[in-house]
Amino acid sequence: MNVESIKECERKSIDKLKKYQLPNRFKKVGWILFAIAFVGLFLTTKDTNPKLIAKYAMLIGLLLVSISKDKIEDEFIKSLRMHSFTFAFIFAVFIAITHPLFSYVANFVVTEKQALFTGIGDWMILWLLLSVQVFYFEYLKKMHR
Amino acid sequence: MKNKLKIERAILDLTQEELANKIGVSRQTISSIEKNRYIPSTVLSLRLSHLFGKSVNDFFELDEHEKTHT
Repeated sequence: MNVESIKECERKSIDKLKKYQLPNRFKKVGWILFAIAFVGLFLTTKDTNPKLIAKYAMLIGLLLVSISKDKIEDEFIKSLRMHSFTFAFIFAVFIAITHPLFSYVANFVVTEKQALFTGIGDWMILWLLLSVQVFYFEYLKKMHR
Repeated sequence: MKNKLKIERAILDLTQEELANKIGVSRQTISSIEKNRYIPSTVLSLRLSHLFGKSVNDFFELDEHEKTHT
């Protein structure tokens, strides 16, 4: 196997990755899963396994919405989608970086004691990324109507 | 970039929806191009060119500051 054929093989795998989107019908499936999980989150009280499952089911629902194609997925919609992913990424990173500082200050004000810097948590980061992307994408589409 | 898409569409007596259907994009895309909020790809520009029967340069034009690279 020469270098060129390895490069070609890698190019083909990258091209396959570019076609990550699901058909439009998965958007509805995603919203239904999200709604069921959201209701389930309030039905379960303490941090038990069902609550954890509901929280992750919400993320899966949002992921399905996020990566499902629009009815007409043309180049303009793709560009709006790209903008929304970029915005969500920057927003989530910014919140993840600044959150410990805000929580430290808030803790200090409330308890008036030396507080700890606490991280935002993996679920919250994923929730921020997906929800901001989905809602910002819908907002952009509405703005260009 | 300036464009005369609205004029060309009017010449063919097409609505935004009809033009969008003819070239396989959404109505939002046509509306955004007409309002200069979106610059279409070469493929889409050539599809429009084919439909209008005109060269791309006839309905898309660079602004003065875009003509030279500084």
